[in-house]
Amino acid sequence: MDSLLNGFRALDLTDEKGLACGKILAALGIDVIKIEKPGGDSARYIPPFLDNVSDPENSLYWLAFNTDKRGITLNLETPQGQDLFRELVNESDFVLESFQPGTMDQLGLGYENLKQINPGIILVSITSFGQKGPYSRYKGSELIAYAMSGILGIAGEPDRPPVMEPVGSVYFQACAAAACGAVVSHYYREKTGRGQQVDISIAEVTTNRNTGTFSSWEFDKVLRKRGGPVSEFGKRPSKQIWQCKDGYVFWIFWGGPLGAPGNRALCEWMEEDGIQNPFSRVSDWENFNMAKVTREEHNAFEAAITTFFLRHTKEEISTDGLMRGIRAHVISNPADVFQNSHLNARDYWIKLDYSERGIKLAHSRHFFLCNETMNFVRHRAPHVGEHNNEIFSKEMGISPEVIAELKKGNVI
Amino acid sequence: MEVQSTDEQALKDVNVLDFGWAIAGSLTGKYLGDYGATVIKVESSKRIDMIRTSRHVSISTGTNPDDKPRFVQLNTSKYGITLDLQNPRARAVIEKLIIWADVINENFTPGTMEKLGLDYASVKSINPRIIMISGSLFGQTGPLAREWGVDGIGAALSGHSNLIGWPDRGPGGATVTYGDYILPFFNVLAVVSALDYRRKTGKGQYIDASMLEIWTHMTNPAILDWQANANLQNRNGNRIPNASPHGVFPCYGEDRWCAIAVFTEKEWRSFCNVIDDPPWTKEPRFSTLSNRKEHEDELEKLMSEWTVKHEAKDIMHMMQKAGIAASVVQNAQDILDNDPQMREREFFVRLEHPVIGVFNHVNPPFKLLGTKPRTRTAPRLGEHNEYVCTHFLNISDDEFVRLLQDGVFE
Repeated sequence: MDSLLNGFRALDLTDEKGLACGKILAALGIDVIKIEKPGGDSARYIPPFLDNVSDPENSLYWLAFNTDKRGITLNLETPQGQDLFRELVNESDFVLESFQPGTMDQLGLGYENLKQINPGIILVSITSFGQKGPYSRYKGSELIAYAMSGILGIAGEPDRPPVMEPVGSVYFQACAAAACGAVVSHYYREKTGRGQQVDISIAEVTTNRNTGTFSSWEFDKVLRKRGGPVSEFGKRPSKQIWQCKDGYVFWIFWGGPLGAPGNRALCEWMEEDGIQNPFSRVSDWENFNMAKVTREEHNAFEAAITTFFLRHTKEEISTDGLMRGIRAHVISNPADVFQNSHLNARDYWIKLDYSERGIKLAHSRHFFLCNETMNFVRHRAPHVGEHNNEIFSKEMGISPEVIAELKKGNVI
Repeated sequence: MEVQSTDEQALKDVNVLDFGWAIAGSLTGKYLGDYGATVIKVESSKRIDMIRTSRHVSISTGTNPDDKPRFVQLNTSKYGITLDLQNPRARAVIEKLIIWADVINENFTPGTMEKLGLDYASVKSINPRIIMISGSLFGQTGPLAREWGVDGIGAALSGHSNLIGWPDRGPGGATVTYGDYILPFFNVLAVVSALDYRRKTGKGQYIDASMLEIWTHMTNPAILDWQANANLQNRNGNRIPNASPHGVFPCYGEDRWCAIAVFTEKEWRSFCNVIDDPPWTKEPRFSTLSNRKEHEDELEKLMSEWTVKHEAKDIMHMMQKAGIAASVVQNAQDILDNDPQMREREFFVRLEHPVIGVFNHVNPPFKLLGTKPRTRTAPRLGEHNEYVCTHFLNISDDEFVRLLQDGVFE
């Protein structure tokens, strides 16, 4: 079966900010060539590491976000390296990069230069704050982009500093936006022959998640505060993460017809457990209006639920609960995610072969499923320079003598 | 200066029939529309988009579906029609729309489209080249497929929630929705790739996109760490293994904070220089990354004594000037009123809405520099019923009136 975008090629110069963009495009069938400096990308030093040993071949972060790419080494700071890159651009459809704005221009490889070589080329630039503007040369990181975006300030608990999301989450969302921009540009290019530059600001992609709270400032001059792990649905924030016997579960106390079946089931279960609870006093759950519940009543409900959840394991609450009609889900640790029966039923994991090490590791297999095409993760990430021979000799036809010269000059 | 093809729109010739609603479904159609596709959003006044009932700002009433800024921000560049999908007379209009469309976008709870006779097999029998995408939390198959879901469940099951927060407390959860915003990027890239595939092969297709499955790619490093090393990662506040200091520090003023991230020894020396080299910075316990990691509590405490005396903005500029990654922890006011970078990038675009007036709409966060978005305000409920029928579907005026009288556009 084909993939959606078979037959196209991308050159991937990104560091940790942009690695997932090429991974997404590769799953769509694009031939993505990861170009690293001789010795390997700096992102190969991002933890965690295989066997807990820091080594360019061991970064699990790197291995996670470079699947299905081929890998070559090329020094873009040398004129010969730049020439080879230009030759590759002529045979490619996309260039992905995440240098500080202006770097590609300094190398003579900015969009205007690339366009001269290949007018259809699409240059996807992924940076912390975007290509232009007063902060464009500012130094970024995930934490910094997250702070700039407006989300960090409202994330976390009221009595502690704002707290970030885990490593990789800000970049992954930015890479999804970048891949989206690449594909929309591609569609236009296939119609018109015209390429263009896609300008991704990681901070802006993150701000995009937060537009709802901006309206509160714009219309009412109200600033949202950090409220902890509570739901913003309904009139007052209500708890949505609950401790249980061996971990935590996610459950929202909804009113009305939406919450009715689960609330009735929960009430029955609490009664079986012999827990005194205010649920049993509600006769008509369909018309149970959360907005009319007083703070005291709400606290009494929460206290009963807290007692109940603490008596049960996360497995009991999610599995038995689901059968009873209670929609509680496990706050999953990595092992729980891997064992999730729903994901397994959808063949979500693919074991990639790390044969040199004699191990196989399961990776997420797909981003979405199509009935006519297969857009799957298939191969592990490349070793440093793994495809140098395949690409430089076999595909570009460079002679062994020239390759020896290039190696000597630290070009490849 | 060379004239960029700014009048061109990337997706000009694409027709989208949009049943998307709430956040993720609405944004999918919005992005396609902002970049030039003709998008017809189908609503029903009997079951209106939940965001049309959201009253989180004071101008929004409980009676007018058209006074919700949030709905407008999520639904720009669309035509809007209302159709009573349960009314048999509406079927003729729906079928014309299916024939008109290149793409159908929907994100109802799985099974809903089938009940409406609008599942892929049914629409394909009307338009064999159709590309249809269903976005949902769990996907269309599997034991949880029919379960109703919200973003927070995706955060829980993907492993994201468990990694947010402090080591001495419970999980923080995703405070601001994540999955609702990442799913639309994948929806759009899947649909547009499928359009390209159809151009080459003539074949349409059905796409099943699950927010949970997309989200779980993000936690793959932690899942690999568990498989390979039996290491179960846990919450760690703002600390990461390969940088120190790396955190959020109190600044002068009420609830003002600055984020600072120091990765290299060179950055550490510059950092010490910016805070005027107090004696503690020379102590051996802070001399290397591994020493700083070991004494991070004390390091953060000592740093905070300096940061709390300065305004967050000044710290950001001082640090950045010295080559250190730092940012004000911005709030909505900082971003809307005082952020020169946001202004330069035109992420917010002030457009006039007939009910709300002029306010900040949002451009797509992926900026195509050659074919810029042309974002238009969102439709009022049923605003384009007549226009869509007569202009796109060639329904005569008389027929439109008959359909209207039959209650098709409820």
